[in-house]
Amino acid sequence: MPGIESAAVRPVPLHSLRVAVRDALLVLVACAAVGAATNALRPGGIAFVQRSEYEILVPCPEGSGDAHAIQADDPTVWDTRTLLVDARSAVEHQRWHPTGAIAVPFDYLEPTSPEQVRRIASSGAGRVVVFGDGNNPDSGEQLAREIAGKGIRNVRFVEGGAPLLEKAAAVRGAR
Amino acid sequence: MRALFNWRGHAIFALAARLYLAAIFLFACWHKILEPAAFALDIATYQILPLGLVNPLAIVLPWVELAAGLMLLSGFRTRAAALLVAGMMVMFTVAISIAVAKGLDMSCGCFASQGSAEDPISWRTILRDASWLFLAAYVFIFDRRPLGLDRLYRRRKSAATQEPS
Repeated sequence: MPGIESAAVRPVPLHSLRVAVRDALLVLVACAAVGAATNALRPGGIAFVQRSEYEILVPCPEGSGDAHAIQADDPTVWDTRTLLVDARSAVEHQRWHPTGAIAVPFDYLEPTSPEQVRRIASSGAGRVVVFGDGNNPDSGEQLAREIAGKGIRNVRFVEGGAPLLEKAAAVRGAR
Repeated sequence: MRALFNWRGHAIFALAARLYLAAIFLFACWHKILEPAAFALDIATYQILPLGLVNPLAIVLPWVELAAGLMLLSGFRTRAAALLVAGMMVMFTVAISIAVAKGLDMSCGCFASQGSAEDPISWRTILRDASWLFLAAYVFIFDRRPLGLDRLYRRRKSAATQEPS
């Protein structure tokens, strides 16, 4: 291939190795400076040192947790780091669901499949907010407690379920 | 052995490997630069680093990936770039191996931070990263006088030294 050095390859000389290491270190330092400066100047920058623990969603073998209620108009419900989980039937999910919500229909007799739990766990979200039919008992609350018991951390359920969530979504949309 | 080492085809393969790695790293750094918070969460999910180191790594690492990708693409300080890539791949491989050994059910966070239930970490992820580490080493050893800025610079330098005074 013309243009490409075709001379026989010789072992890497020690001097070249030193130069490569030096250059790599210089690039590292420059990148640290650029990264820190960019982060400091940008609107969505993060704190250089995180103070509070990250809310991570990784199933723990021995873990179990309670699911707490949350109001439909709570801002965290609509936060981009929230994974919304719809516990209603597929038909109801099709009729209306908030953008980004995933359907995990809750069955009072059958446990939620490991695949569904894994899907939630590996979503990368900071919290899980489950909403159901809003009845008594509420399928959202039931599902939230079930998946919390399977090791998913930071699980909430919407008090009043989908009906109130739909109203809250309409109010947000009207603003 | 010596014949294998001196094979002329290495130059072409090393160039291909260099451009492949450049594409991977340029693609990988993009969402991390745009969404440092999401990347920090990805790092925290590994549960390896102390909390105080999570954000600094999330802030700096994407820029190192960008720099390494650009250097590989342009042929500027190629061996330093290959060294950086190799260093990062060692770090990633170790981190993913620990996470797999712990049985953590998560995505690697290597690329876009989507809901990645379809791409959880596994031994295949480790194998993939190990193959990229091998490619970085290959570029480091065999991409001598590569096409790109380094070659241009050398030619100019040698032309300048040969000019009669």
